[in-house]
Amino acid sequence: MIHVRALTKHYPDLRQGRLVALDGVSFDAAPGQIFGLLGPNGAGKTTALRILSTVLRPTSGTVTINGFDVVRQPAEVRRQIGFMSANTAVYDRMTAWEMVEHFGRLHGMDKDALAARMESIFERLKMNDIRDLLGAKMSTGMKQKVSVARAIVHDPPVLIFDEATAGLDVLVARALLRTVAELRDQGKCILFSTHIMREAEKLCDRIAILHRGRILAEGTLDELRDRHREHDLEELFFRLISEHDERQGAVARDVRTSGRLP
Amino acid sequence: MNWSNVRLILAREIRDQLRDRRTMFMIFIVPILTYPFLGMIGLGISQVAQQKPTRILVVGETHLPERPTLIEGDRFAPRLFRQPGMAKLLELHRWDQESRPGSAGASGKKASPGSESGARPSGSPLLPETAARSAVEAGTYDAALLFPPDFGRRIEACREAAQRRDKPPEVPRPQIIYTTAVERSQLACDRLRVVLERWNDEVARSFLAAAGAPDWSMTAVEVDAVDLARETGYRGAAMWSKILPVLLVLWSLVGAFYPAVDLCAGEKERGTLETLLSSPAARSEIVLGKLVTIMLFSSLTAVLNLLSVAATGPMMFSQLPGFGPPPALSPLWLGLALLPASALFSALSLALAAFARSTKEGQYYLMPLMAVTIPLAVLPAAGGLELTLGNSLIPVTGLVLLLRAALEGNYWQVVQFAAPVLAVTSGACVLAVRWAVEQFHSEAVLFREGERLEVRLWLHHLFEDRGPTPTPAGAVFCGIVILMIHFFMSLRWAAPSDFGRFAVAVAVSQLAVILTPALLMTVVLTRSPRQTLLLRRPPWAALPAAAILAAALHPAAHVLQKAVMKLYPLSDAMQEALSGLESLFAHAPWWQIVLVVALAPAICEEIAFRGFIFTGMRSAGSPWRAIVVSAVFFGLTHGILQQALIACLIGVLLGWLALRTGSIFPGMVFHLVHNALGVLVARTPQWLESNWPGLSWLLRPADGGVAFAWPVVLAGTGIALAVLAFLARVGQPDGRR
Repeated sequence: MIHVRALTKHYPDLRQGRLVALDGVSFDAAPGQIFGLLGPNGAGKTTALRILSTVLRPTSGTVTINGFDVVRQPAEVRRQIGFMSANTAVYDRMTAWEMVEHFGRLHGMDKDALAARMESIFERLKMNDIRDLLGAKMSTGMKQKVSVARAIVHDPPVLIFDEATAGLDVLVARALLRTVAELRDQGKCILFSTHIMREAEKLCDRIAILHRGRILAEGTLDELRDRHREHDLEELFFRLISEHDERQGAVARDVRTSGRLP
Repeated sequence: MNWSNVRLILAREIRDQLRDRRTMFMIFIVPILTYPFLGMIGLGISQVAQQKPTRILVVGETHLPERPTLIEGDRFAPRLFRQPGMAKLLELHRWDQESRPGSAGASGKKASPGSESGARPSGSPLLPETAARSAVEAGTYDAALLFPPDFGRRIEACREAAQRRDKPPEVPRPQIIYTTAVERSQLACDRLRVVLERWNDEVARSFLAAAGAPDWSMTAVEVDAVDLARETGYRGAAMWSKILPVLLVLWSLVGAFYPAVDLCAGEKERGTLETLLSSPAARSEIVLGKLVTIMLFSSLTAVLNLLSVAATGPMMFSQLPGFGPPPALSPLWLGLALLPASALFSALSLALAAFARSTKEGQYYLMPLMAVTIPLAVLPAAGGLELTLGNSLIPVTGLVLLLRAALEGNYWQVVQFAAPVLAVTSGACVLAVRWAVEQFHSEAVLFREGERLEVRLWLHHLFEDRGPTPTPAGAVFCGIVILMIHFFMSLRWAAPSDFGRFAVAVAVSQLAVILTPALLMTVVLTRSPRQTLLLRRPPWAALPAAAILAAALHPAAHVLQKAVMKLYPLSDAMQEALSGLESLFAHAPWWQIVLVVALAPAICEEIAFRGFIFTGMRSAGSPWRAIVVSAVFFGLTHGILQQALIACLIGVLLGWLALRTGSIFPGMVFHLVHNALGVLVARTPQWLESNWPGLSWLLRPADGGVAFAWPVVLAGTGIALAVLAFLARVGQPDGRR
């Protein structure tokens, strides 16, 4: 469903000349599966998911989603996905109903189908009491529900959640995770990025650990535990990251003392 | 383009704006309240300002003649004012050397200057004039009126001389002492002048009477002014035609700007832009939807403001002479002009607002936009600019002038210049829209993150991480530095008296203003001077081809130059300066002229403009952008507008040469030949006449220069096109391997 190959992304940066946000990232995600992208802040998760949602263009590498290339067929790709991140807010001056309806119409849904679909979504996400509430007046939890409804209104085969639980209280976060799990059970292909171990452990079928733009490990939770002989995901995560940083530090020291790359 | 998406976005944005209280306030409430409110304030202020009397110190009242009377009691004679009540506004204070502080004499108020400030030492009498000066300076009085001793007696003597038809004696002049540093003082002076002028008329009348001339000789010629517009419905149109276009431009700008900031920067700030970008709507659809929304609100703001002015203006100014309601057709003309104006400003605002990270940053960009627009809009109204072909080609100004002509009922002018104005305005619109779309495609703009400004880090980065060639920003910086130095040098420019001085001045300006900044920046900001300055061997045929191209194109360039001069005629002062230069050239040997006017610029200017600036712009973006930007900077360093336009066009050609051949040398050859021909051709007719009389028809002396025969121009252009086609095939694109 999602195929990412050797994806890189550079930004110009004053301090380092250029910032390598993604450095040859590859992974695949299948339908009916939640693929977790686990990484600390600044690992490149948001950059990767923005490229998948065609908001950014990759520096090199390819991404295909449901058979469509993100660079050559961005419009098609956007039809295949529902994208939700900490940066995709809801409009202040629109009600929940208007907001979801607007994006449904942008997806080209016809009026009757859209109305029926929205009724069922609002029912399922228990949003009927905020139907006519303006975005500006909503709580964070309400906004999150509207965002989910907005992302799934056109029933896309692929859903991308970028740090979707950031800033939510436990109750709302739990409800959101339950929704994500339900969507998986409907056969959606779900990409779920987070820096919270518990979420990854509970929810994800496969996990990739992303750090400084590189994937350090990838597999099912059990595969990762077996491979690295560590039961606790948090320990495992911490160990992988510190080992990587130590190696990098050693390389940097070598370069500084000998003046050349190993 | 999916039009239903555009419609959806448009509908959403409009609803969004209508729900925003701030926008509604700016668009609906402000215009309705502004003008009545301004009117109220204006009336209030004018009443307060006019009612305030000014304090006048009168010195030497006793020297005034007996008749006609100037001062009656403690006021000027009321008959000297158009409205007798005005006499109250000049409060007279007599100065009396003998009077002591605070004592009021029988003849009204008496005053002793300096007594209030205590500056005058007791017992030491001051000269009246010195005292009056210090009193006005200290602000004790707004102005002083001094009558010299003997004044009245001399006036009497004049009258007697008039009676005898004798030569009149000299009359000493009264003095008004005032200061332009204080507004009230200026006002006092103006009022005094009016009174004294009317009094002077009466004195003159008494002289005439004494000489036996009839009383009506003072008013023998009276003028009747007939206002045609009284009957045609254009009464007062001249004033409306100045006010309305400016209001239209300014309000369509302001009305576009606030929604634009909310729609772009505001959406970034609130985090909804990414939601929209990841929806199926394409970027161009988003831009179009937003643009139309902004245009709508911009037009609405302008319309409401104009309506409000139309409603309140006539009521407020109905007392003014020559003022009527706006011309009947003005809604039509304003409506027609509104579309291009709001389209232009909406696109500009959209591009600027897309660049801003937050609404706060967005608001900052209003000021620069205003600073560019206001002069363009206001100058035609203030500066007495007329609608000519040249002026009609200036964006905004052309539109304002065209609208003014329409409002004044000059339809013939409108018909003549509508096409160029519309062409320029729509051209500017297209560019602005393209810029806005570009902004929406740029990741760097959409996801710009706040960066701390660290000057040291930045300088370090500039030097340490410099590439082989400069960046576009470096190129633009170089251009601006050159322009700035050029500007400050030109302030010190004095017309050289001989060719030697001229040569030195040109050499200094070429070396210091153009070559040095470019070379310095090449050394500091780039790693490869050779690559930056395009110091490569060009294809072998390019050098002679460039020389032939310059020579073949010269007659056409000459014709073009004449056309530009016709379009934007030189001022007389400029003409004089240029002819001064030409007379310098006339006496110098030709090789010296070529050295100074052709060779030096060919080297220095090419290194700066086709070297550093062109290569820098070339490092990112389209080659045409590099050509145009380097050509614009090249043009701007030519100072005079007329020269700048031509230089800009030549600059495009030079840029293309650099692009095709990948080398700076063909451009240098072209530049050398072009400049050399430009100065030497003035000598050619004489030379032809003496050496090849049969060919003298090719090039004849014409008024203030020479004129090529049309066959020469056409043949030259033909050859030039052939050479261009040849170069297009021979040169390697960009010289990059």
